[in-house]
Amino acid sequence: MNTPQRLFVDAGQLSDFGPGTVTLIHEANCYLSRLDDGGLLAISRKCTHLGCAVPWVVERGRFECPCHASIFDSTGNVIQSPAPRALDIYLITLTHNRIMIDTSKTVKRSVYVAEQLFYPQELG
Amino acid sequence: MYKNFFFHLRPRKVPARAVRFTLTWGLGGAATLMVVLQLLTGLLLNFAYEPFPVHSYLSVQHIQTELFLGRLIRNLHHWTGHFLLVVACLHLLRVFFSGAYVTPRRGTWYSGLVLLLLVLTANFTGYLLPWDQLAFWAITIASSMLAYIPVVGDLLQNLILGGTEVNGATLHIFHSFHTTLLPLAFLFFMSYHFWCIRKAGGVKVDGADRQNMLPVVPELLVRELAFAAVVSCFLLLFAMFFDAPLTGMANPSLTPETVKAPWYFLWLQELLLHMQPVLALCLLPLAFSIFLLLLPFLSQKREKPSLFVQVIFISFFLVIITLTITGVWFRGAGMKLLLPW
Repeated sequence: MNTPQRLFVDAGQLSDFGPGTVTLIHEANCYLSRLDDGGLLAISRKCTHLGCAVPWVVERGRFECPCHASIFDSTGNVIQSPAPRALDIYLITLTHNRIMIDTSKTVKRSVYVAEQLFYPQELG
Repeated sequence: MYKNFFFHLRPRKVPARAVRFTLTWGLGGAATLMVVLQLLTGLLLNFAYEPFPVHSYLSVQHIQTELFLGRLIRNLHHWTGHFLLVVACLHLLRVFFSGAYVTPRRGTWYSGLVLLLLVLTANFTGYLLPWDQLAFWAITIASSMLAYIPVVGDLLQNLILGGTEVNGATLHIFHSFHTTLLPLAFLFFMSYHFWCIRKAGGVKVDGADRQNMLPVVPELLVRELAFAAVVSCFLLLFAMFFDAPLTGMANPSLTPETVKAPWYFLWLQELLLHMQPVLALCLLPLAFSIFLLLLPFLSQKREKPSLFVQVIFISFFLVIITLTITGVWFRGAGMKLLLPW
């Protein structure tokens, strides 16, 4: 009954994700975070402390883990421990203006750096 | 042949002091009885249980609400599992303070440690099977702790979960271990454990008077049967009055406010809140395991463990117990400290 994991998840049309938004992509079990400068990050929901699902709290604009109160900002960077490192990310590609998230490989990182951002080149 | 087989497990006569209840507190016997109870109730539950996500939860609900005596059998299996772990730990304490681990009892000590590990594994693998929120997140937390082990942590976690997170493959792996490999391992190591005790001349009796011997049948047998009846009654009454928990169905997207590892791993989760992950989840447990493994060599010629060995052992045990109690009763949502009353 274990369904094989899909490699690419279609998150939707690029224009659906405005700057400064964080959207839950259920199928990929991750959040698509679009920063103010248009850069994209596919951030895993799994807390790096002990694996709990981290919800995005809209009112405070941050991820707050219910298990041990770790807090992360919209890039997945740790604001408050005990989480030892930033939330994992997935690679993003753009196909016909649709955002595709590669869920086959989790990219671990200690902190957020600008190189992790994906900048889409929108088709005219 | 029957008599011959029985003789391999039991002598015909035992020293009068060996049948005194306070010598062993009946802990090994209680643990044996509980394993047998687990095998029987587990066998019955397995007739109705389906080891697939969603189905597993529904089948446990079915057992709990519709099957004849289903609730009682599940309760009995659930609570006996927990009590078995407590009894096994008390048995370990009793054996330690009796010094019953040096030659010729090394085999008994090591097979006992393996059996303790099996009880822990059986409890852990069984914990996930109801596939409710409590089970799902407790196993998620406990297995995530593995990832902190340097170098092999991620590999171990993937191996146990059958992937990077708890899913259908994990349920399948846990169920297979819980219902096939572990019962077989129990039978094998319990047999070896009993054989070792028999070979070493029965339970350890200080200054046993070999002149004052009693026949095993009926003197020991009657006492054992009476004790087994008392333990069975206690477990049955407990199972009648306290239901095994079954929360909402597992939802990988929604972590409940209070998430804790199974109580026997809570001390590790608690340690993780207070110190470096590598120290908490790798070095300290490893140090305690090595201490237990080397114990027969640390006090080779002594009757009882030396004061130094006792201090180390008691310190470890007190730390584990204090952290477990804190984790179980003094932690609330977000693992914040609170008073249980």
